[in-house]
Amino acid sequence: MKFLCIPCDEQMETQTDGIMPSDSKNLALKFKCKKCGHSIAMLTNKFETEFVSKIGVEMGGGSEEAKSPFNMVGNTLSQAKEILNKDKPAEKQELVWTDEAKERIQRVPFFVRNMAKKTVISYAQEHGVTVIDAKLMDEVREKVGM
Amino acid sequence: MKTYNDLAGDGGSNFVGQVTSQLEKLRTRLDKIKHKIALMSGKGGVGKSSLTANIAGCLAERGYKVGILDIDLNGPSIGNLLGVPNDVKLNVDNDGVHAGEGAKGIKIMSMDMLLPTPDTPVMWTHKSGETASWVSMLENTAIRELIADTYWGELDYLLLDMPPGSDRIDNIKELIPELAGVVEITIPSSISQHIVAKSITKNNKVGVPIIGLIENMGGYSCPSCNADHPLFSGQDVEELCRQKEVDYLGKIPFDPRISEKTGNGTLFYSEHKDSPAAKAIDGTAEKIIKFIKSNS
Repeated sequence: MKFLCIPCDEQMETQTDGIMPSDSKNLALKFKCKKCGHSIAMLTNKFETEFVSKIGVEMGGGSEEAKSPFNMVGNTLSQAKEILNKDKPAEKQELVWTDEAKERIQRVPFFVRNMAKKTVISYAQEHGVTVIDAKLMDEVREKVGM
Repeated sequence: MKTYNDLAGDGGSNFVGQVTSQLEKLRTRLDKIKHKIALMSGKGGVGKSSLTANIAGCLAERGYKVGILDIDLNGPSIGNLLGVPNDVKLNVDNDGVHAGEGAKGIKIMSMDMLLPTPDTPVMWTHKSGETASWVSMLENTAIRELIADTYWGELDYLLLDMPPGSDRIDNIKELIPELAGVVEITIPSSISQHIVAKSITKNNKVGVPIIGLIENMGGYSCPSCNADHPLFSGQDVEELCRQKEVDYLGKIPFDPRISEKTGNGTLFYSEHKDSPAAKAIDGTAEKIIKFIKSNS
């Protein structure tokens, strides 16, 4: 799928730092026209989201994690050996994720999980928050308008 | 107004690039493996995995570098048969996930090696029923990752231990277009032959070369008197081969030791070379090698 800003006749770009999907797999992605700045949201139903998740690609471009071996298998199996669960939300040493927050981010489909994590981390850093908990995640979702 | 084709990319996700990258990774891995062979049967319970393990042992003893990929994602058994248990420590580095090393140095990759405990089932989500509609697509992606992300090193043969049924061959053909062929396996029972005949027909229709048909559990050799007795009734399997115009690769007599797991690096074929079953397996492996050589 591609999105076109009709007034500008320009392709709209995926906003990789503006996603906060709900746990219900109703994916919401933002697209923005770089010429006029107009934004739109793409809302998908569970089935459309599932389709993308099964082919092992990531929204917003492949992350470094996507290059890890067994990325889809390791992130999709309900139980896998620890070494395959690379996708831990702990990029920044100064940030602490509560167990509930970790659990919630793990419930986000893996193909958009990195984008969601980036959104939460950016928000936390901008607001001087060092502990990411479920309340903060709710706040982020409300602020990014998803 | 611009149309779809006027827009160069997809706005940042680069799905085409990601898929292309996946396929390049797969190709790079496959290029290091000379011959890929699938061992399959339309029917379950005919001894595919035990035969695959022992044929691999035959090939390894002939000096070939051999690997086995367990395509039976939900019922993996190759690891246990060849001495790579569920609790094997995974070695992950920049080359990928290293294949386990079983009896005779056979390289193994199996879903069982990825699960935390021996009784953990393969479940793709935490919530039951969530992905039921998507399992086939998901398993296809899993198989691609199991091939492409496993560090096999250089191999002469990669044997694919297929699950029961003939549906998975479509995925394999797509992922490995250069598949050398399939070895069909049946037991002598009428029902097994009935279903394997369908599998042969399908492979012919989709253009997968058939190396031949193995008759497994083709009688029981009495250890006391060495006389052969039938285990199943059904038409002559060689007659099925004639009807379907496929090569008959041999009859493997039933021997309960074939399916014993080898935690100590041994293998039935190697340990009981003088047994009728081991000799028959040897003859079958020889025919497979002959097919590969004449078609390479």
